[in-house]
Amino acid sequence: MRKAIAVLFLGFIGYYLLSTFLLVPFGVVRVLEGVGLKYLQDGLQQTGAANLVTSIVVNYRGFDTLGEVTVLFLAATGMGALLYSKRPTERARQNASVIVKTGARILFPLIIILGAYVFIHGHLTPGGGFQGGAIIASGFLLMFMSYRTYHVNHVILSRVESSAGSVFVIIGLLGLAYGSSFLANILPLGTANTLFSAGVIPLIYVAVGFKVGAELTALLDTMLQTVK
Amino acid sequence: MLDALHYTGYVLTSFGVLFLLLGALGILRMPDVYNRMQAGTKATTLGAVGTIMGVGLINPEWFLKTLIISLFILLSNPISSHALARGSYRIGIKMWQKKDIDAYKKAVQESEEKEEAA
Repeated sequence: MRKAIAVLFLGFIGYYLLSTFLLVPFGVVRVLEGVGLKYLQDGLQQTGAANLVTSIVVNYRGFDTLGEVTVLFLAATGMGALLYSKRPTERARQNASVIVKTGARILFPLIIILGAYVFIHGHLTPGGGFQGGAIIASGFLLMFMSYRTYHVNHVILSRVESSAGSVFVIIGLLGLAYGSSFLANILPLGTANTLFSAGVIPLIYVAVGFKVGAELTALLDTMLQTVK
Repeated sequence: MLDALHYTGYVLTSFGVLFLLLGALGILRMPDVYNRMQAGTKATTLGAVGTIMGVGLINPEWFLKTLIISLFILLSNPISSHALARGSYRIGIKMWQKKDIDAYKKAVQESEEKEEAA
């Protein structure tokens, strides 16, 4: 009886899924019509960002990105609250070998520079604030793994995080005050394909980069403190 | 001059591709973790550096970038494989045929004795 109901249920769901997907034409190029074409044609003139993905993420859908940043912040805060313990467990892992330690010391600054490059050039090349922040956090993870006694200052991290988040909101409010809407562009667009172009996009992405980097680093440190 | 650079680049790239293929074969064929690690890192480090530098020679504008990428690979790849091999030895993964050759065990014992003496 239960199996019969399950089969019936599956068939029901399958029928409606199939009929929905059959409505979507298969193998037809749909990029060059509707809103996609609009972004491709007008994106560069309207936003000044050579990287169209960034122009959509930070300019056209800037409010959505602010929501994403907030979600990440809430997730990090929730994780910190769940894992919080007054006496952090002493890390009993073995020390990494000398080779790993030396290598980590050499690679760490290079990784940080790469992360900064990725978020500063977010409006020109693939990547942006989120990716750059994640690269920076991975650099800190390398140091956590190699040096047992490597600690980060959580007070500084949370200051960086909250001020970067405030910068994002303040830029948005300035757009509301001097421009047409929240997060509207208020700076000159400059020439496309140069570092100082695309108005407020680089500023927002630098703020997002700092925020994501600080958040993920703090998260990694909190998680490592719960591991023996 | 430019032609010579071109051909050197192609030769280097082919050389690298050959080593990448050998590395892939080694990962499939080798009997235990440590042997597979040899194939998966030594061969592919040479292969990746060869292909990337070859591309840099074919297209000289990219040479500096490819040089930096190769240096990064040369730094990070051996270190990470070293850490992996050390970790797998320490959690006790067995060797394929354990004869009396275990140089690392001896080295660890010696260094521990040295630490105790100090």
